[in-house]
Amino acid sequence: MRYSSVIQDIRKLAVILAVFVLGMQVAFAQNPTAGKGDVAKGKDLFANNCASCHKIHEPSTGPALTGITARRNEAWLQKWIRNSQSVIKSGDAYAVKLYNDWNQTAMNSFPDLTDGDIKDLLVYIESVPKPEIKKDPQGGGATAGATADSGSTNIILGALVVVLLVILIVLLVLTSLLTRLLKQREDLDEAEKEVVESKFDLGKVLGSKAFLGVLTAIIFLVIAKIGIDKTMDIGMQQGYAPSQPIPFSHKLHIGKYKIACQYCHTTVMKGKSASIPSSNICMNCHNTIKNGSPEIQKIYTAIEKNQPVQWVRVHNLPDLVYFNHSQHTVAGKVACEQCHGKIEEMEVVQQRSPLTMGWCIDCHRQTLVSYTAKDGNGKDVLNPYYEKLLAFHKSKGKTQFKVEDIGGLECSKCHY
Amino acid sequence: MKIHKYILSAFLGTTLLGLSSCERDPNDPGTEFAPNMYTSVAYDPFSQVADSTNKVNPYGINMREPAKGSVSRRNYKTNYTDSAGVKYDLGLMVYNTHKDSLEAAAKNLKNPLPFTKEILAEGKELYGYYCTHCHGEEGKGDGLVGQKYTGVANLSGGAIAKVNGGHIYHVITHGKGRMWAHASQINSLERWKIVSYVHVLQGQITPDGKSVAVAVAKDSVATTAKPEEKKTK
Repeated sequence: MRYSSVIQDIRKLAVILAVFVLGMQVAFAQNPTAGKGDVAKGKDLFANNCASCHKIHEPSTGPALTGITARRNEAWLQKWIRNSQSVIKSGDAYAVKLYNDWNQTAMNSFPDLTDGDIKDLLVYIESVPKPEIKKDPQGGGATAGATADSGSTNIILGALVVVLLVILIVLLVLTSLLTRLLKQREDLDEAEKEVVESKFDLGKVLGSKAFLGVLTAIIFLVIAKIGIDKTMDIGMQQGYAPSQPIPFSHKLHIGKYKIACQYCHTTVMKGKSASIPSSNICMNCHNTIKNGSPEIQKIYTAIEKNQPVQWVRVHNLPDLVYFNHSQHTVAGKVACEQCHGKIEEMEVVQQRSPLTMGWCIDCHRQTLVSYTAKDGNGKDVLNPYYEKLLAFHKSKGKTQFKVEDIGGLECSKCHY
Repeated sequence: MKIHKYILSAFLGTTLLGLSSCERDPNDPGTEFAPNMYTSVAYDPFSQVADSTNKVNPYGINMREPAKGSVSRRNYKTNYTDSAGVKYDLGLMVYNTHKDSLEAAAKNLKNPLPFTKEILAEGKELYGYYCTHCHGEEGKGDGLVGQKYTGVANLSGGAIAKVNGGHIYHVITHGKGRMWAHASQINSLERWKIVSYVHVLQGQITPDGKSVAVAVAKDSVATTAKPEEKKTK
């Protein structure tokens, strides 16, 4: 018992001492009178050469660098930074251990750094104070806005129902009060008495011709409306948002991390269809990022089994119509979101456009053909491909033409 | 009279049911009219046909992998005309370099494209598609994904600002260090265009395509052991 408490005390002391020593070193390194190197120059060198793999206070691709001058002497560091592989090959025990501890990731060599540069670097590294850990007062609040749109209509409808119910209750109360008042009076004639003493007969009202007529009309209209809607809905997939085998979020990848559509859908500028990325494209980032998540592990399983991930196709254009992505993205310069909607805001991808013939034709009727191309200076110049076409149209007195003028409405352009 | 009422309430009930089921389940693609006109008889890329999986290929996929060692025709001998009408004869564009031959690639591969403004503009666009999210718009390795991925190279400074085109081409093709191979996404012509633009970020050429008088190691690689003699380009 005693011994353990003593050991604990010693450990505490050791930690305090270590912190003190580290603090001293930082203080000395920061001291400009030490005249060891230039912090500003070091910062620059660090940003250009080291920052991509090293962080100062936490491990990254390489180890955390703070306290490095305490761990190794400057001569060793100079050798290591200029050519780490040669230090490892020389059999230096520390270097070999370091290499193996970091999965044998070879550090880039920097033969061009002078002794002075390395001094500046080390001074800069030791001058950076440890950042204080701040707790983010975040969480919640972000999802509130999303449902506001459908919520507001529901609130309006609910309020309407409440108002109608209140009116109904007020009317019922009024009639019962009035009949009670009238019943107390003696000077009523026969006709009035009959009205006052008549009981409300639900069966009679329901059986009346007027009521039945109105009801049948309403039922007929409702059935007709549903029937027409359902028939018009055949072959329409607008709003189709199937759940996928892996809940991939476009909102996160495009909205937050701004990855270009073309990075994954590589053939969208080259071919008929915009390709669905194969697992190796996911792996370009997910070999490191969140590779422990069960959803990402599904990609790993797919690769191990050499089996494709079976994504569910969202946009299904029937075979009876030909559509080519590259034609629209390259020649037409149509942006992805013009047809696919705001993908960067979609957690689950949804078919936003109806993809009907009317929708295609509508755009072909309105869209002006862009007969210019950007030259090297970013200026619009006449695309030589359209030269004759433009000359011909000009001879007919037209300076601009739409997709329909170059055959965008021809049946055989899309149906063959 | 009573029967009349029952019929009435039944009618009402069905119409209410019909009204309530107006919203379609997001997983339901809806009714297809004449599906035989909708689904392709030929094996279309990315077509999904229920109950008729492709029996020829494994897992019913329509894509077939090309025979081993085949070279895409487009990469074989490249003549092409750019949007400004300038013709290029680029000869052989595909280089079957080995993954471990970075130094050989840096020594031997030459960018077949001239540094014209058009090529650099196209390279910039392609860089935006394939590189920006990690390497950042200015190549500082500070892209939004890069910050999360960590270990992304800074193209605009340090040792990497001095590497030549063959080196960059090889790294895009096979990856290096933390970066994985991007050959499946970017064809060789596009890779050379990106290489040209990366030279602008490195500060080796100006955005107009004029070479800057900086020391460019002709065949130095960031990992080579001894400092190589530098030649000004």
